[in-house]
Amino acid sequence: MAIKSIQYNQHTLDISYEILNPKESVDIIILHGWGSNKELMKTSFSKYMKGFRHIYIDLPGFGNSTCNIALKTEDYARIVELLMIHINACKDIIVGHSFGGKVATLLEPKVLVLLSSAGIYIPKPLKVSAKIALFKAVKLFGSEKLRAMFVAEDAKTLSEPMYQTFKNVVDEDFTQEFENFPNKALLCWGKEDTATPLSSGQKIASLIKNSTLVEYDSDHYFFMKYAEDVATKIESNFLETLGKSN
Amino acid sequence: MKLTILFGGASFEHEISIVSAITVKDKLTNFDLRFVFCDENHIFYLVDSSKMKATTFSKGEYKKMPQLTITNHKFIQKGLFSSTEHKGTVLNLIHGADGEDGSISALLNFFKIDYIGPRIDASVFSYDKRYTKYLCDAKNIKNVSYEILNSAEHKEITIPYPIIIKPSRLGSSIGVSIVKDESELDYALDCAFEYDNSLIVEPFIEGVKEYNLAGYFADGEMHFSIVEEPQKNEFLDFEKKYMDFSRSEQVHQADISPELEAKLKQTFEKIYRNLFEGALIRCDFFVVNDEVLLNEINPIPGSMANYLFDDFQEAIHSICRSFPREKDIKVSYDYIHSISSAKGK
Repeated sequence: MAIKSIQYNQHTLDISYEILNPKESVDIIILHGWGSNKELMKTSFSKYMKGFRHIYIDLPGFGNSTCNIALKTEDYARIVELLMIHINACKDIIVGHSFGGKVATLLEPKVLVLLSSAGIYIPKPLKVSAKIALFKAVKLFGSEKLRAMFVAEDAKTLSEPMYQTFKNVVDEDFTQEFENFPNKALLCWGKEDTATPLSSGQKIASLIKNSTLVEYDSDHYFFMKYAEDVATKIESNFLETLGKSN
Repeated sequence: MKLTILFGGASFEHEISIVSAITVKDKLTNFDLRFVFCDENHIFYLVDSSKMKATTFSKGEYKKMPQLTITNHKFIQKGLFSSTEHKGTVLNLIHGADGEDGSISALLNFFKIDYIGPRIDASVFSYDKRYTKYLCDAKNIKNVSYEILNSAEHKEITIPYPIIIKPSRLGSSIGVSIVKDESELDYALDCAFEYDNSLIVEPFIEGVKEYNLAGYFADGEMHFSIVEEPQKNEFLDFEKKYMDFSRSEQVHQADISPELEAKLKQTFEKIYRNLFEGALIRCDFFVVNDEVLLNEINPIPGSMANYLFDDFQEAIHSICRSFPREKDIKVSYDYIHSISSAKGK
């Protein structure tokens, strides 16, 4: 592991990253999802794709990376870009799981790999909307203490800036961003995913012109089980782009 | 004899300490052992000997075990109606921060608890590799040439490649890289700066002969282990060293001349005496052109370097018989009394 201090909007963020196969010339940048960290991604993919230089990054506020300001998805992309400049990385292949998928999309790599990406807005079930409405009403009477009872599972342990960040990025609609994505995309999805359902994958596949959707018999973390197959598909997708440019 | 194994600690080597404690447990069967675990928040737990497994800690099961507090001469386990005292000598087996930086030594000194491990001053000189260099200079002990880098200021490295980069205050090869050319430098620096703001840069001597020797002072004389030539491919990285920490099988004496062995022991003694008494330490040496260079001092070696000693239990027994005595300070209030009486009060 390694740490690089990045200056961003007058703040210093310590970004933890790790490079595998440092001598390879094609870069694959791998971004984790909300509440996760680079170790999970590394455990899944480090054994495969030995012909690429793997770059695993802890996004600000996760794993060993710090974050003391509220960020938007766009900020995440800019910070990853700044780190890439420091470590001389290219946007050959960028893989993003869940929230990381949105960051990866904004970075416009030559090959985009979305693993159960977030970015398609799913209307909340009635139960959740009711809970939010109730909390907003309770808040009027000043019962901040009750917040813990209402806050989403994903946000419970968050620091104040990260809670703000969570509110910034959750439920974002990326329809436009997916539609505007100009390059090749590989979409991999777990059929039983409940966090980002398969219908999101199908929607993104229809939005990104040059895209392929692959479905797996598993959930939101399907790639942990099917890492080898996902890796093989990434390799062949990358090789296809080489064929075309020559 | 009662012996308390103290392990864990808020350290990058926390897990290694757990492995060490589990290994040492099987090596000290003659002792009445007690296990005290220090978690990352500095809470002490009494761990039942039958629960001394790695998963007890990784799964957080230790949190259900009785908490201990430390006070004069002992740890105390508070019950609902009574409290139990845990007295006896402590074996400080916390590697890295807390255990080797002087914190635990200070704590045990302060509460007048006997312990095996480096005292405060010995910790200071061995924990930070910069100060080990200063110690070598002061005691006229040869070592590898070096430069110091700091994260706060940019400085060019003048040592030619290949070089080895180490965090100043970490053992177990964590954050250490060998850099063969400039293209590898930036990442190696980032890796080391993750662990410490200060780094040591040394020339990487390819194919250098490396020897480990452990020893301690007891019953009025120095006692040495066998000399070991560690297995290595280039150098031991964290994973290999990690395995190293659970070692328990006896190793073979390195095939070296009696002259070299005497030289290693002589250098060891020079480092040890008047500083490390009370501790069993391991020194790692390089031998370059028949010259013995000190590479590093491990004041709490992994699993106490048990595998280097013929009779490890006797080694621990004899250290316990030979602790350096601290001078007791008596507060007599003589001075205040004399002033008071002069004033006629």
